[in-house]
Amino acid sequence: MELLNNLGLGFETAFTPINLLFAFIGVALGTAVGVLPGIGPTATIAMLLPITFGFEPVTSLIMLAGIYYGAQYGGSTTAILINLPGESSAAVTALDGHQMAKQGRAGPALATAALGSFFAGTVGTLALALFAEPISRAALLFGPAEYFSLVVLGLIASIALASGSVLKALAMIVLGLLLGTVGQDLYSGTPRFTFGMRELYSGLNFVSLAVGLFGVAEILRNLEGDITRSVMVQKVKNLWLTKDDFRRIRGPVLRGTGLGTALGVLPGAGHVLASFVSYSVEKRVSKRPEEFGRGAIEGVAAPESANNAAAQTQFVPLLTLGLPVSPIMALLLGAFIIQGIVPGPSVIDDEPELVWGLIASMWIGNFFLVLLNLPLIGLWVKMLTIPYRVLFPAIIAFASIGTYSIALNAFHVYAIAFFGILGYVLIKLGNEPAPLLLGFVLGPLLEEYLRRALIISDGDPSVFVTRPISLTLLILAAAAFAIAVLPSVRRKREVVFEEED
Amino acid sequence: MSLHHLNDALVRPRSARPGHGRYPRLAGLATATLVLAACGGGGGGGGEDDPAAAEAFPEGDITFVVPFSAGGPTDTVTRLVAEPIAEELGANIVVQNVEGAGGTIAAGEVAAANPDGYTVLMHHIGMSTAPSLYPDLPYAPLEDFEPLGLVTQVPMTIVARSDFEPQTMEELVTYLEENAEDVTLANAGIGAASHLCGLLLQDALGVELTEVPYEGTGPALTDLVAGEVDLMCDQTTNTTGQIQAGEIKAYAVTTPERVETLPDLPTTEEAGLEELQVGVWHGFYVPAGTPEGIREELSAAILSSLEDENVISQLGELGAAPFSQEEATPEAHRQLLEEQIELWQPIIEEAGVAAD
Amino acid sequence: MSMHGARKDLLAGAVFVIFGLAFAITSSTYEVGSALRMGPGYFPLVLGSVLVLLGILIAVKGFVAGDTGELGPVPWKATVLIVAALLFFGFTVRGLGMVPSLLVAVFLTALAGRNARVIPSAVIAASLTALSILIFVIVLQLRLPYFGPWLG
Repeated sequence: MELLNNLGLGFETAFTPINLLFAFIGVALGTAVGVLPGIGPTATIAMLLPITFGFEPVTSLIMLAGIYYGAQYGGSTTAILINLPGESSAAVTALDGHQMAKQGRAGPALATAALGSFFAGTVGTLALALFAEPISRAALLFGPAEYFSLVVLGLIASIALASGSVLKALAMIVLGLLLGTVGQDLYSGTPRFTFGMRELYSGLNFVSLAVGLFGVAEILRNLEGDITRSVMVQKVKNLWLTKDDFRRIRGPVLRGTGLGTALGVLPGAGHVLASFVSYSVEKRVSKRPEEFGRGAIEGVAAPESANNAAAQTQFVPLLTLGLPVSPIMALLLGAFIIQGIVPGPSVIDDEPELVWGLIASMWIGNFFLVLLNLPLIGLWVKMLTIPYRVLFPAIIAFASIGTYSIALNAFHVYAIAFFGILGYVLIKLGNEPAPLLLGFVLGPLLEEYLRRALIISDGDPSVFVTRPISLTLLILAAAAFAIAVLPSVRRKREVVFEEED
Repeated sequence: MSLHHLNDALVRPRSARPGHGRYPRLAGLATATLVLAACGGGGGGGGEDDPAAAEAFPEGDITFVVPFSAGGPTDTVTRLVAEPIAEELGANIVVQNVEGAGGTIAAGEVAAANPDGYTVLMHHIGMSTAPSLYPDLPYAPLEDFEPLGLVTQVPMTIVARSDFEPQTMEELVTYLEENAEDVTLANAGIGAASHLCGLLLQDALGVELTEVPYEGTGPALTDLVAGEVDLMCDQTTNTTGQIQAGEIKAYAVTTPERVETLPDLPTTEEAGLEELQVGVWHGFYVPAGTPEGIREELSAAILSSLEDENVISQLGELGAAPFSQEEATPEAHRQLLEEQIELWQPIIEEAGVAAD
Repeated sequence: MSMHGARKDLLAGAVFVIFGLAFAITSSTYEVGSALRMGPGYFPLVLGSVLVLLGILIAVKGFVAGDTGELGPVPWKATVLIVAALLFFGFTVRGLGMVPSLLVAVFLTALAGRNARVIPSAVIAASLTALSILIFVIVLQLRLPYFGPWLG
């Protein structure tokens, strides 16, 4: 009953014309900026954050949350249409989403992303409303040892992102992990691989890496042939999902939502892991794993759902404990402070209108998102008709401005050039870029948690196996590794047997 | 993954705002857009209808460079005072976040900027610790900058996980002296306020605890609430909510006076640790060589902003207060900066955390 | 087994070995520490070594299997132009300001296209610069001056 009262209060707050209007403006602005190539969700939010400062606290947070969903969806749109992910989860969407676009199925890919996100957003919001308190307590059971084991599991899962050689995928992950160590060491302050440049102390920028590896490398690939290789080889077939598509995405959306809801509450790694753990789960359970990486609609549905469910449950620790689990949540926490609200566990009791209004508005924001974007799919798909000779300079221009303006740091622009060449070489030599990107995101976390767990345990490595959650995760990781390696073993044996027949 | 971003907001003087209603910023944004479009991005609004003002400072937008992320405590303080300062000067103020390397990127940029008063640096206690933490700084805090005045000092609290044994500051001191090596002390990264306070605490007690760095306050506080680490010293901005809710235990506040939002919390001085005095002080700077007249005008505006009611009440919510008019002058600022550089140098050196 | 096909994996392995070595050697100049008390050099040193190992494995496997495809042509002109464009933008955006810096950078990039000609490329450069100003400076209000101090 209390829940109904709370939700009632929430919807009452969120349903004022002003709040509805600003939720909509937020979603629209977020989508519009997020869709620009080279501008990821974090940069979008940072750019738009100050606009919200002048409003009433509830309105401001509702708008900010709208910007957040909009930016994420906009980012997925760019990933699908031009293979340029603005954040790590979109890199997973790009794998199959862009292949679908190349086959003329950009419409269904975008629709799947929108519908999956909406469903996941609804479930995530409901989970947040129902179980905020117990979920947040569960999140606190995760210490450094558990996080380390979780990241290990995630890294193993990311092998599944590659459709080619496992060995090359591993090498790309390790190279990504190494690139993630560039910058000032958290524990000693030692600058690593910075060549004396303070601009590199904060490390390499994700967007530079993504734009270089995916954007520039892809451009160079497209410019190498003699034949005019249009980016979109196939004519756009249809904009909407077929019956068969609906049947295929049902399972992935459900599983992705479940995984995302659970993982979203975990600080640091959870949100990052949600989308690609769900991708690798789908690849494993699918009867047609060979389609993954070649335009499987499941490969869009699962990570998009997981990502969006995690986007909702990420708010749980923030709202119930006043603890931000990701940089974006930290930005929102800052917005609380600017609004004169002291963040902490008592916010939910002291400001019920604000908290429940925000929760209700999350659902409304997701609703607006689907409302706004389903009709827009036609327009987005039109982006594919932009001639390539205009499109690729636009990617370079937006990406340069976007990465430069993030910190007014020209190094982020130079990094695009560096990773563009590196990416081109590696891709040309038969390596896939997605595992590198995920290694880059997870590398700093892996090292951070590992070293922290060992510092706290005073150098006793048994913490990883004596803490039950950590042990469970490590066993899962071992199992996942065995599964990742086994199919190739099995396949070889099958080949042998066939020859004997 | 560290978070960088630029983001700018125009803080316009209230009087210059057309829509001074419930959503002034959006109206402000719309007009600011027009202003920028008309003047090629450089020109400002305020003084234009008054021909006499065209010759005097300021005649364009003033940029406040914040060396940390938008939404963080330093950014909050800056945006808070930027409003009354903009009003006092009759100019637009643009808040720009330039992050990286503990604020030294932003400081380096402002040091190299035109000394014309249009580029102003906001920085906190990190201004005084940077020379010890980063040996190859491209600027010297005392020589390359002119302090304009202090704004506020955010008090720090010594806090622990809720089931940590010691109950009072006195008990904590004894406990730390006896069990130093078993106690873990969290901080939000090298050079962060929590790191500095932790160093000072260990220095004051003459003990060496196991330091556990985190990437920012959020995760550090999370592990403290979860009971993974024992102890931390952080700004009231971050800890007040958790203390009030009983999620963490507080021992003392590190300022000479108790804070209003946590009236039961003794000061370190009351607990017999006079030397453990640390607060996150914030102040404004311009590049050395900025004409005196311009500096005076900026300083006067900063001083008057500290008496703004909104500033006082908002800072109060954060457990902080503006510096008094006598304490906030450029002279007092310079003196504090000098003292702090001297204070931190041996402590940081001893801890061996320099980034060389 | 075709030597030509094997070259791709050999090269891929070589790239990983080079990166692995570079990271491992640089890491060893930092404090390494031990497995249970890691210094800043430990983690990258271990990973660098692992990468070298993986690189060797890839090369060997490629040599044995030798079933990968052609290397294909390399767009040298496009590579040089795009890299030059990015470096130019990074180097001059502050000094020249956004307008000239972006104009030149986009122009260089547009020239990288197949059969690109000067006038269409200049048109693309001008329109994209105008669009970028509209989006980033006017609508999003990023503080990127149009013209920088180098132009007086």
